[in-house]
Amino acid sequence: MIDFIDVSKTYPNGTHALYDVTLNIEKGEFVFIVGASGAGKSTFLKLIMHEESPTSGEIIINNKKTSKLKRRQIPYLRRHMGIVFQDFRLIDKMNVFDNVAFAMRAVGENASTIKNRVPYVLDLVGLKDKMKDKPSELSGGEQQRVSLARALVNNPEIIIADEPTGNVDPEMSHEIIELLNEINARGTTVLVVTHEHDLVREFGKRVILIDHGRIKSDSGKVKNNNSVYGNSYENDVPQYPDNAVIVPDDVSGDNA
Amino acid sequence: MRGFGYLVKEGFKNVWSNRIMSIASVGVLISCLILTGAAFLLSLNVQAVVDSVGQSNETTVYLKDDVSNLEAVYIGKDIKKVSNIVSAEFYSKEDAFKQYKKELGDELFERIQEDKNPLPDAYIVVMEDLSQYDETVAQIKKIDGIDRVSNRSDIARRLTEISNLINLISFWVVLALMIISLFIIANTIRATMYSRRYEISIMKSVGATNAFVRMPFLVEGMVIGLASAIIATGGIALLYEGVMAAVHQLVPFTAIPLQNVILYVAATFVVAGVLIGFFGSFISIRKYLRKEGNEILGW
Repeated sequence: MIDFIDVSKTYPNGTHALYDVTLNIEKGEFVFIVGASGAGKSTFLKLIMHEESPTSGEIIINNKKTSKLKRRQIPYLRRHMGIVFQDFRLIDKMNVFDNVAFAMRAVGENASTIKNRVPYVLDLVGLKDKMKDKPSELSGGEQQRVSLARALVNNPEIIIADEPTGNVDPEMSHEIIELLNEINARGTTVLVVTHEHDLVREFGKRVILIDHGRIKSDSGKVKNNNSVYGNSYENDVPQYPDNAVIVPDDVSGDNA
Repeated sequence: MRGFGYLVKEGFKNVWSNRIMSIASVGVLISCLILTGAAFLLSLNVQAVVDSVGQSNETTVYLKDDVSNLEAVYIGKDIKKVSNIVSAEFYSKEDAFKQYKKELGDELFERIQEDKNPLPDAYIVVMEDLSQYDETVAQIKKIDGIDRVSNRSDIARRLTEISNLINLISFWVVLALMIISLFIIANTIRATMYSRRYEISIMKSVGATNAFVRMPFLVEGMVIGLASAIIATGGIALLYEGVMAAVHQLVPFTAIPLQNVILYVAATFVVAGVLIGFFGSFISIRKYLRKEGNEILGW
């Protein structure tokens, strides 16, 4: 579903964000992307969303080389993806229903489809009874679930969650990842960028560790050694033996 | 495009939710349109005056003394063949004699017998374009039997100069005002887009096409342009009637009636207002559409 082949990215200001990244993410996988701030995680996501183009190498999404995409085709690539942001990015003047419906309207869905689909998705994230509420009336966890509903509403094949638990309490963090896990169980590919080491360990999924623009470890590779899929990334990377190394100073690593 | 109705509705909502900026834009655009319209109507009226003076600006072409009546007829035909001549009417020496007698009194002419009339036969000609006065006179003088042509070139030249100057000033005033209006609208839309940058970034992240993102802002610009055009039409109609009534009291001058031009002015205002609104929005949103993700939010 997502293939990176020798992908490097250098920004015009000379910052080298990624070096020779090669990886494959299959349809239906759940992948955690971890790494310190400035490691290259955001660039990795931007390249998938085609907000940035690689300096060299090739990115293939759904069997299409993104380098071959014309500018006008990029929106259609993004319709395969649902994005969840750390800061939720909800529109405060709209109620919960309209925030979710907004994503459907933006791709030109008709009113009757929106009317049926939005309550269904809000029910899925447990917020059906809060449809009329404004985002400011909701807790951080609820806001993130609205953001998740908005990402889901167009039925994407991939959910990309950029630090989805960064602004919510530990209990709610667990719920959010659990929700993503359920979504993944229905066949949607899920990519989660996170700093929360405990969550990564708890869910036992594939973990890709990015450090200084390179993939330092990819637990997906160890499944061939009959290891538990995704449990061994810390062992693979001796220089990251505990949370303190992976989690930057400004984020608490002790959420357990 | 699917969701077209939704986008148009969003455009109207934008106008309302940014009503202070919208009112400011409409105000500036109305001023620009009214000033533009005033420049146009002034130019039109001056042109009409120039034309009417031009029509009455008859030039007299005097024939030589020895020209016979028959020759005079042929000379008349030759004059009419000259380009830029609208009409050439024969004015016989007898008619001239009677006219002078009437104007100056019988006493002065009582010693002059009509058969010794010293006045020459002449043609009264009217030219179409007074700016070509000198060239036209030169061509007339080439015709055999022409003695001289009364010198009216100063009046012709001055009237043409005034008309040209007004047209030139009007053109630059209109152009400058149009550019100012374009910038004002562009700034209003930029402010709208800034306040809606979250929505734009979300729209782009879920796969909205550029055309889809652009549409509400184009509608907003066009609504501002259209509203300004309608109000400016009413404004200029009132202004024109008022000013012309005041001018008429000062000088005996027949202005072009409002009903002859108002539809033309209204149509021009609507087209200009909507186009300025459209392009003002288009210019502003181009910058945003090139950006991606957090760049849209200015992060």
